[in-house]
Amino acid sequence: MTNTRGTTVILATAFAATSLLLAACGSTVNSATSSSAAAASPSTSVSGSASTSASGEASKACGKWGMAMNAWVGYTASAQVVSNVAKSLGCTITQTKLDEAATTYDAMEAGSVDVVIEDWGGGRWKEWVDRGAVKELGENGNVGLIGMFVPQWMCDKYPDISDSANLNKYAEMFKTAESGDKGAWYEGPPGYTTIGEKMVSANKLNYKVINTGSEAALIDLFTKADKNQTPVLAYWYTPQYFNAKVKLCRVNFPKSDWTDAAKASGLTDYPETTLVKLATTKLVESGDPFANLVANFKWTNADQDSVSADIEGGMTPEAAAQKWIDANPDKVKAWTGQ
Amino acid sequence: MTTVRGLLSRRWVLVLIVVITWVILAAALKGVSTLELSTAADTPFTAWLRDLAASIRGNRTKSPAFLYFFNPIRLGVQGFIEPIRSVIAVPAEGDLIPLFGWLGVVALIGYIVYATSNLRTSVLSMALVFGCGVLGVWADSMDTLALTLGAVFLSLLIGFPLGVWAGLNDRVMAVIRPVLDLAQILPTLVYLAPLALVFLIGIASATIATLIYSIPICIRITAHAVRSLKAGPVEAAQSMGSTRWQLLTKVQLPMARQTLILGVNQTTLAALSFVVIAALIGAPGLGKPVIDALTIRNVGDGLTAGLAVVLLAVMLDRATTAAVLRSQSYVPVAGPALIRRRIGLIGGGIATVVAIVLSRNQLWAAVFPPQLNFGEEISAFFDTIVSWVTSTFDFLTTGLNTAFTTIMLNPLEGLLANSPWYLTITAISLVALIVGGRNVAVLSVFLMLAVVAIGLWHDTMITLSQVLLATAVVMVVGVVLGVIAGRSERAERFLKPVLDAGQTLPAFVYLVPVLALFGPTRFAAIVCGVFYAAPVVVRVVADGVKGVPSDMVEAAVASGSTTTQVITKVQLPASKKSLLLGANQGLIFVLAVIVIGGLVGAGGLGYLVLVGQSKPELTGKGLAAGLAIVLLGIMLDRIAHASAQRSDRSSS
Repeated sequence: MTNTRGTTVILATAFAATSLLLAACGSTVNSATSSSAAAASPSTSVSGSASTSASGEASKACGKWGMAMNAWVGYTASAQVVSNVAKSLGCTITQTKLDEAATTYDAMEAGSVDVVIEDWGGGRWKEWVDRGAVKELGENGNVGLIGMFVPQWMCDKYPDISDSANLNKYAEMFKTAESGDKGAWYEGPPGYTTIGEKMVSANKLNYKVINTGSEAALIDLFTKADKNQTPVLAYWYTPQYFNAKVKLCRVNFPKSDWTDAAKASGLTDYPETTLVKLATTKLVESGDPFANLVANFKWTNADQDSVSADIEGGMTPEAAAQKWIDANPDKVKAWTGQ
Repeated sequence: MTTVRGLLSRRWVLVLIVVITWVILAAALKGVSTLELSTAADTPFTAWLRDLAASIRGNRTKSPAFLYFFNPIRLGVQGFIEPIRSVIAVPAEGDLIPLFGWLGVVALIGYIVYATSNLRTSVLSMALVFGCGVLGVWADSMDTLALTLGAVFLSLLIGFPLGVWAGLNDRVMAVIRPVLDLAQILPTLVYLAPLALVFLIGIASATIATLIYSIPICIRITAHAVRSLKAGPVEAAQSMGSTRWQLLTKVQLPMARQTLILGVNQTTLAALSFVVIAALIGAPGLGKPVIDALTIRNVGDGLTAGLAVVLLAVMLDRATTAAVLRSQSYVPVAGPALIRRRIGLIGGGIATVVAIVLSRNQLWAAVFPPQLNFGEEISAFFDTIVSWVTSTFDFLTTGLNTAFTTIMLNPLEGLLANSPWYLTITAISLVALIVGGRNVAVLSVFLMLAVVAIGLWHDTMITLSQVLLATAVVMVVGVVLGVIAGRSERAERFLKPVLDAGQTLPAFVYLVPVLALFGPTRFAAIVCGVFYAAPVVVRVVADGVKGVPSDMVEAAVASGSTTTQVITKVQLPASKKSLLLGANQGLIFVLAVIVIGGLVGAGGLGYLVLVGQSKPELTGKGLAAGLAIVLLGIMLDRIAHASAQRSDRSSS
């Protein structure tokens, strides 16, 4: 018995050793890819603009960098466009899916990602900037607006609902089993900037805040409310591809007087937020073409929405980003300087 | 028997009196001293935790604890996992494929399984791994497989020696046991945030989190294997003058081999079941699409990735089980069978080497062929089904949700959370005193006061109300299905694959369709908890019913009992211990999922944990919520445990 098993082990080890030895002697598949750059890769289609970087200009070689990928589609659109352009410059970009804010800043400090292409929080990165790990790189051109929204049919039917002062009048309509004898106020996901609880208590609204936990839940709520003409009051924002699909109507609170959500009184509305780019100090000080690209990157809400809509429509982020890049060579040129 | 029933019913009457008094007082004192706290508000304790977390973050690059302890561990674990990934999962910079292309990986897995078990399992394993490619998630599956194998190896490396030691030495066991017990009731969501704080987001944290989950299982089974050996051979070897080392390596371990391989099986499945939740702190692989499905609306991709997790789980389970079976057969292979096997091993080995060479040099063998990748179609198919179900059964799900919430959930939450905290503590500890005895009642008071001191009483009660209701539903489902499966072998054979899938499917996977069906509600979280915990309870109850001596059942049938009478008067009472064990297991499983329910609108402690992970100013709140979950888990486990032991004592 021991004998047969011993033989088995010896045979198995012998073959394992052989295969590892074989592995050491080069792969034609891999050597083919490294010579013709990413063009042969079936997953990314950056070949269209790859020729520009292959022209042999004496530009500084681009390095290997990490791009943080936060969850929402708008972020994906911006990050993918920058990644595609960076790859065409010869950079190697690793994308890492991460929760926004602290998680991402920690990863930047640890060196596993280098760029946040769209950050909504007014200065929540201060702790990391003070420690010298992260630098703010200014606006990315997108303007974000968070708020409480109802489906468009409600504004058509009850025009004064868009004024927060009338919310209590309609509270009865928004009642669900979940909210008991109050109206249901569906709040945004945990990672997003949210002050719903403060708004409800400061404005003495007869609503119960329900933490939805995910963007999927909000989309489900609005889709259903739009289709069945049922009432719903929920957290939402622009720019967002979904706004092109389902028409929503914003409930306006008194004009905003805050920038840091942690210090907001809750009496006033969310402010318009100019979304900013963050990068690691290491990247900023490297003088790398990628640092230059990130510093120059800037586009509009409409640009982002068009890419987002393609992604949502079933295109891969790579393909959707490439479609926009091919259609907007001038804008891309302004970022790369080539 | 009558005295047992008498004792039991007297106890239930007392519980009933406590509950009725509680309900009346709670109605009179509704909304008084509920200790409700808004999400953004801190308590002194959470503020202290927040500052502590900030100082830990700030000291990562300076403090000696990080420089000489945590950071080397992080780099070491990472340095161990990365090479494994580079063999099957992650191409090196500028490369198209990892060390082996898909064909090489499939062949290698087939060969390893063949060498450790048999041809049939080997073919099945290759088909299952191939299936991951067909689902369109080859790369993610390989990443998950690499992380799982690495984590299993480290678990065995640490858990095996500790388990042997604990098996040989009672004092070591006494020290380790409370830690093992705690690890079993700790909901996995809880230790993600502290780990990420110390080891940062990434592969190292994900692997260490997986280890915390799987090592206790490895230790437990190993210690059990060493302990349950028959004394005869050990004494014989001792009397022949064996040294301790000889005793261990020549007698004890070989005798325990079968249980040890079972330990490998359980450790592997535990590690794999953790990969999805580990994606919350940066584990690469199949977990990411599942979590993405929740954060951005994408049911199809999430389900497809979840299905791939199941394929991998079945593959690893069958491969390790077959290895157990093979190690069981003491009949030596000989004659033509031996020759056939040698030929098989040599031939298979050559085929594997050829496949690996091909997979490195031919594009079709290197990158999974797009013609065979049906990922998009399968994902679209799932999307269609889910959206059809949600739109068709909308009236049903909304009705069910509303009814359950208004009739059961809201009143219970009102009782626990919206009455004065001192009333709730008194009532719960009285119930604990009646069903579990004085010790557990004192412990409960202490734990609940700790929750009050932390400042998260109200949120804890919201979570508790969901846990209790979900457990009640789980017990109903579990007892009904468990009795059916325990009484009929055909029903059991039919249920087995469903239970297997239910136990391996990560809880996150069904959060997605459940969210689509029920919207962001507490009910959605309860449904998930029921799905997750029911298989375990069904198993335990079925085993209990099967374990009832057949002469007891036959005697009842002979004396003219109806089937209902046999079940309610004989089989269920006789398997009471299994029922209580099932309830205990059910509670712990439900708690683990209810806190994840924070992602689908369940609120409570789970939501606070998630919020703490993404908002720096609420880190303290999130960590405190994790602590409250632990306290709640210990309390529930101890009460259930004590009441099971008590009824055991009174019936014997």
